[in-house]
Amino acid sequence: MSHEAASASQPFVMDTAFWTATTIFVMAYAVIISEKVHKTVVAIFAAALMLILKILHQHEAFHVEQFGVDWNVIFLLISMMTIINLMKPTGFFEYIAIKSAKIGRGEPIRILVIFAIVTAVLSALLDNVTTVLLLAPVTLLIADALEVDPIPFLIAEVLASNIGGTATLIGDPPNIMIASKAKLNFMDFIYHLTPVVIVIMVVFIFVIKIVFGRKLKTKEELKQRVMQMNEREAIKDPLMLKKSLFVLALVLLGFVFHGILHYEPATVALFGAGLLLLLSGTHEPHHVLAEVEWPTIFFFIGLFIIVGGVVKVGLIKWMSMKVLTLTEGNLFATSMIVMWFSAIASAIVDNIPYVATMNPLIIDMARQIWPHETGLALLQHPELMPLWWSLALGACLGGNGSPIGASANVIVVGMAERAGRPISFMKFVLYGAPITVMTVLISMIYVWLRYYLLG
Amino acid sequence: MRARDIMEPVQETLSPSESLRDAVKKMRVARRGNGIGVKGLIVVDEDSNPVGMLSMHDILRAIMPSYLSLSELGEFTWDGMLEQMCRKVADRKVADIMSREVITVPEDAPLMECAELMVNHNLHRIPVVDSSSKVVGMIYVRDLYHAIVRALPGEEE
Repeated sequence: MSHEAASASQPFVMDTAFWTATTIFVMAYAVIISEKVHKTVVAIFAAALMLILKILHQHEAFHVEQFGVDWNVIFLLISMMTIINLMKPTGFFEYIAIKSAKIGRGEPIRILVIFAIVTAVLSALLDNVTTVLLLAPVTLLIADALEVDPIPFLIAEVLASNIGGTATLIGDPPNIMIASKAKLNFMDFIYHLTPVVIVIMVVFIFVIKIVFGRKLKTKEELKQRVMQMNEREAIKDPLMLKKSLFVLALVLLGFVFHGILHYEPATVALFGAGLLLLLSGTHEPHHVLAEVEWPTIFFFIGLFIIVGGVVKVGLIKWMSMKVLTLTEGNLFATSMIVMWFSAIASAIVDNIPYVATMNPLIIDMARQIWPHETGLALLQHPELMPLWWSLALGACLGGNGSPIGASANVIVVGMAERAGRPISFMKFVLYGAPITVMTVLISMIYVWLRYYLLG
Repeated sequence: MRARDIMEPVQETLSPSESLRDAVKKMRVARRGNGIGVKGLIVVDEDSNPVGMLSMHDILRAIMPSYLSLSELGEFTWDGMLEQMCRKVADRKVADIMSREVITVPEDAPLMECAELMVNHNLHRIPVVDSSSKVVGMIYVRDLYHAIVRALPGEEE
């Protein structure tokens, strides 16, 4: 807390350090957006610049919560990835997908709806990329079996994945980052975001049924191909599957109670990863660990340090002052602006650097509005809460706006292309943008109703 | 012995713009120097520079949907699926399905170099090129095997 108090009163000047840090930050984000250099390389190099030019001391970057790497985010991501990597080879996800297609009795539109729901639920509990990576191949197979166009299925799934991911703390990286910064727990997200995501899903299902329903027709004999599939054959390792499901259930239970038990989410996830590694009896953990998406992890690490640098020199505080001037301190207006701006920004650029920047900005804004509050009283000030939810809803749902809005979109577009059914940029936007506008509109009404009209 | 001593003449080549359908027809009738059928053909551009290789394995990979290589879903395929996929890919160009990385050897390459390439790169045939990188022949696993048979002690005639 002493750091927060110190920085709130810290005078800031636009000195050499300010301009150096700002230049590194702006250049790094520009190069990341341009995609000329891999984003992870940019993040690591720019972070190293912050250190070598003494904007940040190494101690601040590695050990000070306010300026440095958010290890809670890092270990939560690594642990969840490890659990999923151990679970993947069991065939569980293929089993779920084939079973879903059979529950849909081979009827394309029914399968599309079930797949969308399954994707949303799995994305809420696991990361979106893993979910679509595991479900898309089965989807393509089912579409071939029914001799229908796979594109509606893939689009519905990826949109559902970004919607579902919005529902929980662990569903999408922006939520993980927000939770850690604002010290929100798993149940906070269940209380505040899951209800609106359920409403959004219902409307979404209704819309995709209308949009795709008439296009998807198949013949009776082709449905038999799906009905004859035996989903049990997907299970490659029943014993490991039981162990995985046990640990996954334990981890979810841990998330539900982590607030009450005073454990950070990363502690819960790390315990799950450690336990499942132990239960798997693996003698070659390097295979499992090598499959952790290290480029993503290092992208986060680099970004935290870059943002820490501009927080320290006061750029973020300066930006927060500008936002407050713009909205004249009206928090309802601010939260609506944050939501829409986040949605648009996330559709165009990666939402991870965006949220990494917005988190300290919102905290700085709160410090200016309530200069005498510190700690949880500041971070979770009742009037500040709608801002966090608006940021989460905008940043997560905005990912649906374009094929580059979320990593899951990039994966699915790539798979469709390899399967010989490319989804063009405009085709994706044609479906994604209206869905984004619709879902953000619902979120806007929700935030207004729940926190301003009724709250 | 060197590559040129055991290589066989190349009688048939493919062009990158040919369809898979035509390539398969050519491969069916193509013969090696000694009348044995071929399991793969070299793909050359207008200047007869090698640009790729199309083998039976490449064709298998081409008719297999990409999602089957991403996930182990073989047990969920159906009777008639292979034929269905063949119809889909019949008109694809050789350029899209060939192996692009062509490993070649010069005419004077020692046989051990050919053996090393076949083993380490899992090849069944290696084009032999002259100094201007034109294909002048082909070395098949069997040719190398015959060289080994001849070289084994006690096998001299």
